[in-house]
Amino acid sequence: MISRFKAEIATATLTASLGLVTVIGALEFGIGWGDAGPESGAFPFYIGLLVIGASLGNLAQMARDRSALQAVFLDREQAHRVGSFLVPMLAFVILAVTLGLYVATALYLAFVMWRQGGYHLIVSAASGVAAAILFYVVLEYAFQVPLLKGPLESALGLY
Amino acid sequence: MENFASLLHGFSVALTTYHIALMIVGVLLGILVGVLPGLGAPNGVSLLLPLTFTMDPVSAIILLTSMYWGALFGGSTTSILFNIPGEPSSVATTFDGYPMAKQGQAAQALTLAFLSAGFGALVGVILITVLSGWVAKFALKFSSPEYFAVYFLAFASFVGLGGTSPFKTIVSLGLGFAFAAVGMDTVSGALRLTYGFSDLLGGISFLIAVIGLFGIGELMLTMEEGLRFDGIRARVRPRDVIKTIATMPRYWVALLRSSAIGCWMGITPGGPTAASFMSYGLAKRLSRRRDGFGKGEPEGVVAPETADHAAGSSAILPMLALGVPGSATAAVMMGGLMIWGLNPGPMLFIERPDFVWGLIASMYLGNIVAVLVVLTTIPLFASILRIPFAIIGPIIVVVCFIGAYTVAGRSFDLWLALVFGLVGYLFKKLDYPIAPLVLAMVLGDKAEDAFRQSMIMSRGSLSIFWSNGLVGTLITLGLVLAFWPLVSAALRKRAKSDASSVIA
Repeated sequence: MISRFKAEIATATLTASLGLVTVIGALEFGIGWGDAGPESGAFPFYIGLLVIGASLGNLAQMARDRSALQAVFLDREQAHRVGSFLVPMLAFVILAVTLGLYVATALYLAFVMWRQGGYHLIVSAASGVAAAILFYVVLEYAFQVPLLKGPLESALGLY
Repeated sequence: MENFASLLHGFSVALTTYHIALMIVGVLLGILVGVLPGLGAPNGVSLLLPLTFTMDPVSAIILLTSMYWGALFGGSTTSILFNIPGEPSSVATTFDGYPMAKQGQAAQALTLAFLSAGFGALVGVILITVLSGWVAKFALKFSSPEYFAVYFLAFASFVGLGGTSPFKTIVSLGLGFAFAAVGMDTVSGALRLTYGFSDLLGGISFLIAVIGLFGIGELMLTMEEGLRFDGIRARVRPRDVIKTIATMPRYWVALLRSSAIGCWMGITPGGPTAASFMSYGLAKRLSRRRDGFGKGEPEGVVAPETADHAAGSSAILPMLALGVPGSATAAVMMGGLMIWGLNPGPMLFIERPDFVWGLIASMYLGNIVAVLVVLTTIPLFASILRIPFAIIGPIIVVVCFIGAYTVAGRSFDLWLALVFGLVGYLFKKLDYPIAPLVLAMVLGDKAEDAFRQSMIMSRGSLSIFWSNGLVGTLITLGLVLAFWPLVSAALRKRAKSDASSVIA
C-alpha cells in the first residue's frame, strides 16, 4: 500500500531530477550571449531551473501538508488491476519492436482475451489474428501507412 | 461585411460532396473516440493526424475538426447513459444527465445535451466569424516581443486560473518546454539535449506525448478503477426529439449565459472543462429550481453542455488568428497545421484565405452534421460499451501504439508513448494538469524563438517587453496572473488576520 504522501514526494523528486537533467544538458551548449543572441542552451537552462524550483515548492508544500496526505494512493486491489493491465502492455511493446506490430497485436489481443476475458483459446487466437489482418488491410492498403514489420512478414514476403 | 463575403467563399470551399462525406466520417470517428474510455478528443485527433499528412490541408482540417465535434458529443453520451464521462469536459454533465436517464428520461437528456451543445458550438462559430478577421488584422502589428507576450499570457493564465496547485502547473509547463527543446534548435540549427542518444536527435513529438498522456494514462486509470459499465438503455425516438425541442426556449437564459462563459473560457486558455464546471455552478446558483440540481434537472444538462461546446469551438479562434490554441485539442490541431506547412496566425488569413474561411464555414456545417449524426446513431455507439472490456481495452491499447508508430515510423516512439503513459497516469492521480504540458510542447519552439528574437532586437535587455503600451500591458497582465496564487494567498491571510483582530 502506497500513501499519497509517498507518491507525491516520489513524483516531485522525479520532476526535480528531470529539471536537473535539463540544466546539465543545457550547460553543454552555452547559456550566455553568443554571436546570434542568446545561445541555444539559455532557454532550456532557465526552464530547467524553473522546473527544479517548482518541484522544490511542491516538496515543501507536501512536507507542510503531510498529515492531510495519508490517504491511500494505491491499494492492493488497485495495484493488482493496474499490474494486470500494465504487464501485458509492456510485453506488447517488447514484442512489437522485435516481431513487428502486427504479430504483437495478434498475440497481445489473443492473450488478454484468453487469460483475462475468459474466452476459449481458439476464439481468442482467431480474434487476435483477425484484428491484426484487419489493421493490416486498413493501414497498408486504405491509408498506405506502413507499420513496423518483423521476421514473419519478411518470411511471407509482405513489404 | 468583409467577413461575410469571405464566409460565403468559405462555404463554396466546404460545401462539396467529398467534404460533407469527410464530415460524416469525422463525426462518426469522433463519437467513437468520445464514447470509448481512454480515447478522447485530443488523443483521437493525434491518432488521426498522421493519416492526414498526404491529404489536402482543407480536407484534412475538416476531417479533424469534425472528429473534434463528434468526440465532444460522444463524451456527453457516456456521461448521461453510463455516468462515465467520456471526456473530462463532460464530467459536469453526469451530475444531472445520469439522474435524468435513471428516471427514464434518457432520450430527453440526450436530446437536450446534443441540442444545447449544438447551440453553444454555433455561438462559438459565429463569434469566430465576427472576430477572427479583426483579431488577425490587429495581430498583424505584432512583432516578436508582442508574440512572446501573448504566449507568456497564455501560459501565465494556466498558473493563475488553473485551480490546481500553481507549482504543479509550473512543473507541467516547464517539462513541456524541456521536451520541446530536445533535438534541433530552430534558431541556430544546433542539436541539443540529446545526451548522445541518436533516437533523441529527431526530438520528442507532441503527438507521442498526447497519445501517452491522454490515451494510455487514461486507460490505466480506467483499469485501476475496475471498470464496470451498467448503462441505461436508451432509444431516441423522433417524437421525443420534437417534444424536447419544444422545451428548448424555456432555457434561453441558461443557453445564453452558458454560451458567453464558454466563449470566454475557450478564447482564454481556460478550456472546455473549466467552462462546463463554471457554467454548471452558475446555473445552480442562479436557477429558480436550484433544489432540483443533481437530481435530474434539465437545466443542469443544458448549462454544462452549452458551455463545453461553446468553449470547444471558440478555442479555434486564438489558434487561427494568433497561433495560441485555447485547448489541448486545439493545440494538437495547431501542431497539425504546422506539419502541413501552414503557419497559424494572422498571416494565414492573408496567405491562405481559402483554408481559413473553408474551415470556418465547415464548422457551421460540421456542427449541424454532428447533431444529426449523433441523434441517429447514438444507440449504436452506446452498445459498443457493452462489449466486454477484455476486448475493447487491448484494442484501444493497440490503436494508441499504432498511432504512435505512424507519427514518424520510429520504434523508439513506442517506448516513449509507454513512458508518457506512465507519467500521465501518475500526473492524473496526483492532480498535475496535463493540458499545459501539451500546450508548452506545441508552442515551446515558437515561444523560445520569439523570446530570442526579442533579445536580439534589444541586445539582451528585458526592457523591450515594456517598450510600447501593447506589449507592456500583455506582459504585466501575464505577470499578475503568474503571481496571482501568491497575491490571493497573501490577501486571504490578511483578510483572515483582519477578521480575527476584529473578533479580538
